[in-house]
Amino acid sequence: MKKNLALLLTAVLTAAAIAGCGSAAPTQGAPAPEAKEEAAEPAEEAKEEAAEEAPAEESTGAYVFLDEDLGVESYAIGFRKGDDELAEQVSGAVKALVANGTYAEIGEKYPDIKDYLCLDAADIDTASLPEEGSGDSSYTFKHGFDLDYPPYSYLQDDGTVGGFDVELCQAVCEYLGWGYEAVPFNWDAKDMELNAGSCDCIWSGFTKEGREDDYTWGLTYSNNTQGILVAADSGIKTLADLEGKIVGVQTATSAYDMLEDSQADLAATFSELRVYETYTIAFNDLKAGAIDAIAIDMTAGSFLIAGENK
Amino acid sequence: MSLSTMLTSMGAGMLRSCLIFFLTLLFSLPLGMGVMFLRRSRIAVVQWITKIYIAIMRGTPLMLQLLMWYFGPYYIFGWSIRGYRFTAIILGFSMNYAAYFAEIYRGGIEAIPKGQYEAAEVLGYSKVQTFFKIILPQVIKTILPSITNEIITLVKDTSLAFTLAYNEMFSLAKQIAASQTSFMPFIIAGIFYFIANYVVAFVMERIEKAMNYYN
Repeated sequence: MKKNLALLLTAVLTAAAIAGCGSAAPTQGAPAPEAKEEAAEPAEEAKEEAAEEAPAEESTGAYVFLDEDLGVESYAIGFRKGDDELAEQVSGAVKALVANGTYAEIGEKYPDIKDYLCLDAADIDTASLPEEGSGDSSYTFKHGFDLDYPPYSYLQDDGTVGGFDVELCQAVCEYLGWGYEAVPFNWDAKDMELNAGSCDCIWSGFTKEGREDDYTWGLTYSNNTQGILVAADSGIKTLADLEGKIVGVQTATSAYDMLEDSQADLAATFSELRVYETYTIAFNDLKAGAIDAIAIDMTAGSFLIAGENK
Repeated sequence: MSLSTMLTSMGAGMLRSCLIFFLTLLFSLPLGMGVMFLRRSRIAVVQWITKIYIAIMRGTPLMLQLLMWYFGPYYIFGWSIRGYRFTAIILGFSMNYAAYFAEIYRGGIEAIPKGQYEAAEVLGYSKVQTFFKIILPQVIKTILPSITNEIITLVKDTSLAFTLAYNEMFSLAKQIAASQTSFMPFIIAGIFYFIANYVVAFVMERIEKAMNYYN
């Protein structure tokens, strides 16, 4: 009897769970994952050909950025308010690395970033820069960064900490004769980490815009553009096409800030703006077709696309 | 951002956290009962499968399970998961907590001495009557403190729903803290969890008292 009761209970609950799924996840319109690689529906294809001058380009990647962007931002090194001397010393060292070519050399290793590096050796005035080895050799510079922000700072394929920002910071420490200490933190807790002194700077694709008064800023060493990433066969070609679509974004990023602030009118046309903990999950959702687009900066987005094509 | 604006924007998240909490309890408490019966089944295969289920549910992180529930249908079957997010969250939470509740129920039932069954049989109770009138009331009494523990954990676990981009209260707290460079949202979140758990503990204590009919 107990057994029958148990079977009945589980059967009812399983049925309820399945019914719940069924109503929420329509299976009839489900696009199979292979559908993305195959040609789009005939009607859609015709529409795309009319709008797109080079449909052949579509097949090169399953995910593309829209031509229109959301805005440009600059990445700089953030120090505690009042740490002017440290900011100046580090910025000076970065300039020296630009002048001696190390900056461009590191940039070569990160093709997604290369085009966004904004410092040029020709523009550097080498007269007032700190000399090599001029720093206090007993000092250890604590580099605070998000370990989940490729290609600026992330876990490399070999399991070590790396990325453009990490390598540049290490080069700065080496140049000045300082010790280097990596302080990977939770991005949400960056201000607490900095104020508590567990790191000396926030340096990991850190956007200056909108935060001008919150930190003492070092050198702006890279620019970035915020864009919209979509599946190539989605039929979304312009920002206006995003009307009524579900767009994903990572929490506490400049893409998110732009959609809340300068691009709030655009965000209002979305059917939903979905906020994720990491872009990795958002990208999985895009692949699965649960969302239509991702608002993301070009370098991080290119990194995701590159990973997909690997 | 003023305190009241912060509270208003976090308020929506609090409702979402509460929704996860209540729906999970609603499904997992009875589901746990079903799992417990299967776990105690005399059919070896059923018992075995249930053991594996409980081992997986308790042996892997809930965050990972949520990801599996949500992305699993897409990666395994290629189904569309559009609009399935909330169902996946409730499914993940309920299935996970059902495993824990099942083991708590089992502990309670196995603590009842055999003499109780024998006495009931002598008095002419049927098996169903014995279970619902004699065994279950005693079981509930003994397992209540463990259930309270589990429910309190559930209140705090609701923050894991952000793994699937569901904006419950704690994720909003993190977002506001980041945009305002303020610690205040975390303090508000802490107070919310504390009050919620205080209410849970209070209600459970009341139920325990009500069940304490022999003293």
